[in-house]
Amino acid sequence: MDPNQVAKAFVDHYYSLFDTNRPALAGLYQDGSMLTFEGEKIQGAASISAKLNGLPFQQCQHQISTVDFQPSGAGSGMLVFVSGSLKLQGEDHPLKFSQLFHLIPTPQGSFYVFNDIFRLNYG
Amino acid sequence: MAAMDPDQVSRAFVDHYYNTFDANRAGLVSLYQDASMLTFEGQQFQGAPNIANKLNSLPFQQCKHNISTVDCQPSGAHGGMLVFVSGILQLPGEEHPLKFSQMFHLVPTAEGSLFVLNDIFRLNYA
Repeated sequence: MDPNQVAKAFVDHYYSLFDTNRPALAGLYQDGSMLTFEGEKIQGAASISAKLNGLPFQQCQHQISTVDFQPSGAGSGMLVFVSGSLKLQGEDHPLKFSQLFHLIPTPQGSFYVFNDIFRLNYG
Repeated sequence: MAAMDPDQVSRAFVDHYYNTFDANRAGLVSLYQDASMLTFEGQQFQGAPNIANKLNSLPFQQCKHNISTVDCQPSGAHGGMLVFVSGILQLPGEEHPLKFSQMFHLVPTAEGSLFVLNDIFRLNYA
């Protein structure tokens, strides 16, 4: 499969899980994974999962506006740069965000998230 | 370079990059190499000459970048660093600055500095 298609499928899967089954995101990270969430640095699947599960909202919906990919030069790694909006239940105005993923292939033919950086884009 | 705090290194690079962009745009070419890739608002360019050409031909003579946030993480690629920037871009004569996000993947050169292997730029529309 075209790596771009695999990476695009991964991004769709990531936000779909986030919005419908957030604890399952833990399976997309490993021990070496890093998340920087609005400037806060977190390492390892367990801590990352705890952070995401502990965000102060139960339900959310991500709508993706742009997705850009480039090979990262790190053994078939892919850099994925996403922008979109995040709608929280009961909030009138969606939050705009940008996110960077560095995806590394797994032996099973999928990807896991090695690097993850998330920033809200304030108006 | 290896002994410096990665946050300091990435902040220094970011300052240098945008100062060069704003004061001497043609000088950016030395920060890219043949393998470098730029995706600029969805358009893809490869190699320092093509990237420099794109940046030099953007439809404004002067500009000023103001950086709001810089996040960095090691990329797992032999000393490589991912840098995620958000900020605003002011163009002369334009009342409202443009908001943007940009990611760089910086990779060490043999001489001990960094070059841009990956560069992705997006405007953040209201």
